[in-house]
Amino acid sequence: MADRHGQLEPFYLSVEPGARFCLLHLPPSGVALRGGILYVHPFAEEMNKARRMAAAQARRFAQTGYAVLQMDLLGCGDSGGELRDATVSGWCRDLQVAADWMLGRGYGPLRVWGLRFGALVASHWVSTYGNDIDGLVLWQPVASGDTHLTQFLRISVAGDMLASGTAGGGAGALRKRLAAGETLEVAGYEINSTLASEMNALRLADIPPSGLAVDWFEVVPEAGSVAPASARVVEQWQHAGMRVRYEVVTGEPFWTTVEIVDCPALLEATTRASSEGWKQDTASRA
Amino acid sequence: MTLVIDDVRRIVATTLQLGARGGSMSSATPLLGAIPELDSMAVVSLITALEEQFEISVEDDEIGAETFETLGSLAAFVEQKMAN
Repeated sequence: MADRHGQLEPFYLSVEPGARFCLLHLPPSGVALRGGILYVHPFAEEMNKARRMAAAQARRFAQTGYAVLQMDLLGCGDSGGELRDATVSGWCRDLQVAADWMLGRGYGPLRVWGLRFGALVASHWVSTYGNDIDGLVLWQPVASGDTHLTQFLRISVAGDMLASGTAGGGAGALRKRLAAGETLEVAGYEINSTLASEMNALRLADIPPSGLAVDWFEVVPEAGSVAPASARVVEQWQHAGMRVRYEVVTGEPFWTTVEIVDCPALLEATTRASSEGWKQDTASRA
Repeated sequence: MTLVIDDVRRIVATTLQLGARGGSMSSATPLLGAIPELDSMAVVSLITALEEQFEISVEDDEIGAETFETLGSLAAFVEQKMAN
């Protein structure tokens, strides 16, 4: 299937166990290939909410000369496997296969673009696989996997409240069950104890992607506000000698809204950075 | 200076995307059971938005139906958290 901007190729990439669903966006004919971008999607329901925005940005990247690979990680989206078998380390293996595939096809230099929990996983993965990656693009990164897991478990807590008026044992009780090795089902998503403990250990501040160019974008509801947690990590990374470009745009939190919404300012800012800032970055590396 | 209830009304309206319905909410407006958009995921989004906006931290045992009964009860909860 070809869309009017360029080529879109759906295919399956084999990663044991099973196969991962991939979408490859290629630049339209006549636009020179500048490199590749690998997308890392968010966790659970945020992945679905953000699907439209991710596709819109992938198309824009392709228009400006990038090959973009969107892979559904094990147990997510249209990929094989079950979420209850997924682990962060397994997802990192998925990303490695995807990156090797991109580089093998000549779609380098390669950047990794992550959204929400996907941004945290991307940073973690790049810190161990960094040699082949040229830069990170972070959209509203989750600063702490621990907090993210708590918010996710709260869906179950809130469900109890809606059903009975009280929160039951809260996220703490659910965490105890996970720690004891149970697999829990929350809002239709099954998470196992390994995934939970790996999530708990991920903190953005701990994994500065050494030597990489980072383009970091945050969406705030009103102009002028900054997420304090993010600002702290950005400062830490810059202090550690990272080249972090931080940009705040105004818009709705499209990864969590009840209705599917777009955030045009984020698409514009990201596309502008990819066609301007990254050029300078590549030039300075040459 | 804006009142807490005005900020809470705005956060409820934007988080749940209530559009025009948001502006007409008073402190007596019922939330739980009265607004179909307020499902378990929306409750979590709402708590997260309130935590970020007011820089408060909500405990699990505070997630009770009485807190989310009306716009007024939710605003009172936020005010009490900010005072602590």
